[in-house]
Amino acid sequence: MPDWVEPVARYILQEGLPGTLRVSAAAVVGSALIGILFGTLMTIRFLPLQALIRLYVEVFRGLPILVTVFIAFFGLPSVSTRLEFDPLTAASIALVLWGSAQVAEATRGAVQSIPREQHEAASALGFGWGGRHSFVILPQALRRLLPPFVSLLVNIIQNSTLAGVIGGLEILDAGERQSERLTAIPPSGIGEIHAAEVFGGVAVLFFLISFPLTRLAAVLEKRLV
Amino acid sequence: MLLATYDLWAFVSDNQAELVDGLLNTLKVSAFAIAGAFVIGGVLGAARAHRIPVVSQLTAVYVEVIRNTPILVQIFMIFYALPQLGLVFDQFTVAWLSVMVWGGAFNSENFRAGFEAVPYRYREAGDALGFNRFATFTNVTLPIGGRIALPSSINTYISVVKNTSLMYVIGYSELTTTALNISNQSLETLEALTVLAVVYLALVWTLSVSIRLLEARLALPESR
Repeated sequence: MPDWVEPVARYILQEGLPGTLRVSAAAVVGSALIGILFGTLMTIRFLPLQALIRLYVEVFRGLPILVTVFIAFFGLPSVSTRLEFDPLTAASIALVLWGSAQVAEATRGAVQSIPREQHEAASALGFGWGGRHSFVILPQALRRLLPPFVSLLVNIIQNSTLAGVIGGLEILDAGERQSERLTAIPPSGIGEIHAAEVFGGVAVLFFLISFPLTRLAAVLEKRLV
Repeated sequence: MLLATYDLWAFVSDNQAELVDGLLNTLKVSAFAIAGAFVIGGVLGAARAHRIPVVSQLTAVYVEVIRNTPILVQIFMIFYALPQLGLVFDQFTVAWLSVMVWGGAFNSENFRAGFEAVPYRYREAGDALGFNRFATFTNVTLPIGGRIALPSSINTYISVVKNTSLMYVIGYSELTTTALNISNQSLETLEALTVLAVVYLALVWTLSVSIRLLEARLALPESR
């Protein structure tokens, strides 16, 4: 292997990969919490609340995620200086807004797919709305949510590359910085173009992460539904 | 701070010509990519559904590669990596080519599912009428399976429109790049973001409503 490969790979894995994982982890956890809450609230027959959550879902599913990333990174600081975030945090916020909208819609469907008798049985046992949903309805609904959840994880990992657009250091941005550095004259670079190898390597890395997960989603889909 | 000077109307009227150009470029890239994704999806989806040797396997590989890598990486491959192999494209070509390749992969899955959902007895009926395989496809499988695939393929086209915003990274002056460049000079960040949000939501919501109308219009008689 040529000499330039090792430092490039090391940089992508040591500096880029943690950024991707940080953004993805924050986005998945945030999307799940907010999405499940909003999705469950959407099943309550109270029109103003339903309309409000519906608007949230339609807006953040409708916007290109890059535009949401720009809103989080450039828009929020113009509203208040306290809302200034570093690129990785801003990208995580944008992915939570998008992801929670996806999860909310899926949760609504899953909660509504639980038969009415389950609600009635839980009520008969003395559970209130909160207890009924947390101990009876959601545990059953979550099972049906598992396959879409794994797909969401894949989408979030792939979309974490948007952090690179606003200067956050993740896998793709690390690759871009390295491929640019290689074109510089020595000693910082080697004065050669290796974009195809570097971005090809980045693509392979993402494939190795995503492929097992998309297979898992397909298997879960067959098993659980 | 910037909220106090917020003036959406001034932003739009001062930059009307540029914004309209940006929107037109977004629509142009989307139209090229959607047309291409439709053809790719129809042809490769048919190859998959009919298990045509070699083409079917190659399509499966193409779909998995596109589905399991970020679209930004695909754009970078076409914009930065292909020139190294002697393939240099202008920004407009990179723009529609990359979203077309992306949309085509998803669309071939949509069409495969649609064609496979056509009951086998319909194809047998085609055989009974003396149609050859190709005639059965164009007269039976395509009109019925195409309709079944319509909602999911329109969803793919909506994603294609949204993904044209990623051409910001290659500096192609579609809507997102145009609005952001104006706001970089004039610091009217919130105005630019408002314009982007309103225009994209209008585009996406119009397309979503059209899916529902089309679905009702084109529903197969037996499922009505």
